[in-house]
Amino acid sequence: MKRVAFVALSAWLVVLFLIAVGLDATQEWTVYQRRFVKSLNRDERRGLPGGIQQIQVKPLGRVDRCTTCHVAIDKPQLALAEQPFTAHPGDYLTWHPPEQFGCTVCHGGQGLATQVRPAHGEITHWEQPLLRGPLIQASCLKCHGNLEEINAHVPLLRQGIQLYDRLGCAGCHTVHGFGQTVSIDLSDMGDKPWQLLDFTFVEGDHTLAQWIDEHFREPRRVTPGYRMTELPPGEEEIYPTFMPNFGLTDDQARALTVYMLSLTAESLPAKYTIPQTPRVQPAGYATAVERGRAVFQKYGCAGCHGEGGLGGRKNWNAQLGEEEPSLVYVKMTYDRDNLKQLIRDGRQPVPRRDPARPRAPSYMPAWKDRLSETELDDLVEYLLSLYESQVPQPAPVSEPAEAAPTEG
Amino acid sequence: MTQDLKKTKIWKSIFRHDFSDTPRTRLQRVFGNVFLHLHPVRVPKDAIRIVYTWGLGGLSFYLFLVLSVTGILLMFYYRPTTIHAYQDIKDLAFVVTLGGWLRNMHRWAAHLMVVIVILHMVRVFLTGAYKPPREYNWVVGVILLVMTLFLSYTGYLLPWDQLALWAVTVGAQMAANSPMVGSEGPFQLPFITPGNDAKFFLVGGTIISDNALLRFYVLHCVAVPFLFLIFLSVHLWRVRKDTFSRQTGEKVDVWPHLVSRELLAALLATVVLFVWSLVVQAPLEGQANPNVTPNPSKAPWYFLGLQELLVYFDPWIAGVVLPTVIIVGLMAIPYLDLNPKGVGVYPRMERRKLGPLPIWYPAERPFAVTVFLFGILLWFALIFIGYYCRGPNWEWYWPGASWSHRHLSKLTLKNLPNLWGGLLLAGYALQGVPMPKRAKDRIAGRLGPRAPEALSGALHIGSGLLMSAALFIPLLTAPDPDDPLRSHHATLFAALGRATNAPLVSACYRLVERVGPAMGFTLIGLLAATMGAMLGWLSARCAALKDRLYDDLGSVKYAIVIALLLMMLGVLGKIALRLLCGIKYVISLPAFNFNI
Repeated sequence: MKRVAFVALSAWLVVLFLIAVGLDATQEWTVYQRRFVKSLNRDERRGLPGGIQQIQVKPLGRVDRCTTCHVAIDKPQLALAEQPFTAHPGDYLTWHPPEQFGCTVCHGGQGLATQVRPAHGEITHWEQPLLRGPLIQASCLKCHGNLEEINAHVPLLRQGIQLYDRLGCAGCHTVHGFGQTVSIDLSDMGDKPWQLLDFTFVEGDHTLAQWIDEHFREPRRVTPGYRMTELPPGEEEIYPTFMPNFGLTDDQARALTVYMLSLTAESLPAKYTIPQTPRVQPAGYATAVERGRAVFQKYGCAGCHGEGGLGGRKNWNAQLGEEEPSLVYVKMTYDRDNLKQLIRDGRQPVPRRDPARPRAPSYMPAWKDRLSETELDDLVEYLLSLYESQVPQPAPVSEPAEAAPTEG
Repeated sequence: MTQDLKKTKIWKSIFRHDFSDTPRTRLQRVFGNVFLHLHPVRVPKDAIRIVYTWGLGGLSFYLFLVLSVTGILLMFYYRPTTIHAYQDIKDLAFVVTLGGWLRNMHRWAAHLMVVIVILHMVRVFLTGAYKPPREYNWVVGVILLVMTLFLSYTGYLLPWDQLALWAVTVGAQMAANSPMVGSEGPFQLPFITPGNDAKFFLVGGTIISDNALLRFYVLHCVAVPFLFLIFLSVHLWRVRKDTFSRQTGEKVDVWPHLVSRELLAALLATVVLFVWSLVVQAPLEGQANPNVTPNPSKAPWYFLGLQELLVYFDPWIAGVVLPTVIIVGLMAIPYLDLNPKGVGVYPRMERRKLGPLPIWYPAERPFAVTVFLFGILLWFALIFIGYYCRGPNWEWYWPGASWSHRHLSKLTLKNLPNLWGGLLLAGYALQGVPMPKRAKDRIAGRLGPRAPEALSGALHIGSGLLMSAALFIPLLTAPDPDDPLRSHHATLFAALGRATNAPLVSACYRLVERVGPAMGFTLIGLLAATMGAMLGWLSARCAALKDRLYDDLGSVKYAIVIALLLMMLGVLGKIALRLLCGIKYVISLPAFNFNI
């Protein structure tokens, strides 16, 4: 009995060990390599390295084993049409030699891994999943300050940056030191760990990119706050986010997502980065109003007050119909000095509509340390001009028929 | 040829005897082998029955060996620095031949060892193997248990992933909350700062970083195993010296009877570990990030009971005092249990009737077995709750329910005013007071033969009523201590009733609303009185047992035993108070961080 047990258990042990060795020897990457080698004729096979391949990039602290399966990535003459045996499209590898850059610094994913899903980083516990499709443009901004020069390669990224400026995001958010602090700093948005995000109302994958994308489309669906009925008695309600729904198209949302993903705190060695080409400041505006419009645009006033100061953005429990004020009618309420003072000091807290409910989440920040006196002057000119430019003016009243009594 | 080989000096110096199965060679095999020499040569047959020991002690030792071997192999691939550690673990998983499997083996063997060591302790307790002359070895065993847990805990940090970092943070934070020597604990000594407190000593810094990793690495790989080996030697040596607890049956040779069983047990354990490591991957989360706290952050499972206790008590009580009491209490068992019966046998269960219910009752050591098993069950129940029933923000979720970070607790908690909390505790402590024989005799002499029993019953029921009054009176009448502005108008009961979903309180509140205050409060009073009386009646039922215990143990030992017992049951009581009545702390002295 004991002998039988002994023999049986020992046999089991041997079998299990062999299974372990066998599993180890037939990992996913070996299958891919074998399939690739089969597609080659004998001459082509010569000199082809086997086993796990890795690109060690010391300056970037990265070890990328992607080429273990993507064997032909830098060998276009051997490449096949199917993944993972394709060659790298374009001339990107000439510009970014793999031995200097590796793969993951641009593509994301988990370079250390040698299995498909972990390597693509599409697993729960990896923060940088593969940047699929146009999302990869987000990586260019890590090094390329000279976006103008690589314009053709980064259309979405450029569009995202333009949208960021046009919609006035800087009025609430800071990126690399420029912008207001009404809402969160976006400088490292691309690094944000998924554990800090609430995916309860996200319909797609639980990834950072998806969260940002859906949040751009429908901010109040993704972060709806808490209604009174959801809260324990005695707690204050928590408003939905005051991030406006900008009514973005899919392309626009994706473009902004790409820009957000490109904002990382990762600092690459100086020899990898290209400094920003100094922006040419458009100069020589004709009028103070036009200069003022540029100020309005640059500092992101449009984020809250709407493009052209038309208003319409939600601000929970603020007076004025729970909205951010429209600026079209400032001319009716303020004179120059009052308006300047209001912009300098801001208005916080915003008066509440219902004093029992919590304070409005958005407020007018103080601009006195951010705007120069000339900028302020121009801005005020612009704001006072809005009434004429935005409100359809009544047709000039024609002179009454009976003018001066006729003589005689 | 073989014969010639056997005649060479080399053969003879390695194998010093021949392999024929004679009584003489059986002895020689044990005598002549430094490893087997740990065994006696002959043991009683019943002592090594599998259904008696279940091989648990030997398995613990074997798992220690497995862990040493796999651990040494892992050390070849691992660098204890924050920039390398995580990458090295990834390399083990992805590129080292059999590396993932090796790590799985180490991980699962560690978990298995914790389980087996605890089961070994339970087995030793049940068979009374800690009784004289083996008291000291039980103490050594408890030390080994603690070391096993500490080894697991130190190993937990090494992969340097989020799981590791935050599990260890929970533990290190408990050290920071130690009384006197923790910078966040009560009764702090004047020279204690975050730069020299117990947490600093444990993690080598004010935050968990490179120093902590190095420190845990050295502790895990060198320091604790070294101490472990010393205590292990003592433990095994004492087993030899004190003999096995069961001495019945004829004596048989250790070779082959015991050695073969050990071999089979080891083989079986290895097969289990092989399969486990092939099928289940050891967890590895994202790289440790001190800025991102996973919600919930859970300690390793064997410490989750303690973490669950953090809900009910101040950190220094749940994290430092209670574990110390548990460990010291375990060590004290052989010195407190003077009952000589039940050595070398599992408790004989008698079937009795408790009212209509059939129960199985340990006949010879009813008190010891019941209390110990209750403690073990409580410990694992707390672990179960912590592991399966706690989600984000440590909210309660039923196992399998999906977690939501938006879920908010509706349980609003209040403290009992200290006066009433003190009375509640006093009533509870009174339940443990015995009536010694001398006192009984005197009372019987003065008031008649039935008087002691009646008096004891009255005392128990009285203290039960006291407890119930101390709980319900503040709920019904005392002003709300958290909101003095409202205190003129609202009772704590009203505040709780409106604000909480604590089942008992909101039920009372609804009752009052339904039937009007006069009727409602009367009903609640009746309910409270019934509860108190029931509690008193229950402990009055145990009065005879208590009195006997007191007469057997003497006052000091009795006090220790009953204090440990009351603390253990008190944990359950505290859980019930919180979940049913929405009471956060019974006594709260914020000046001393004393909240229970």
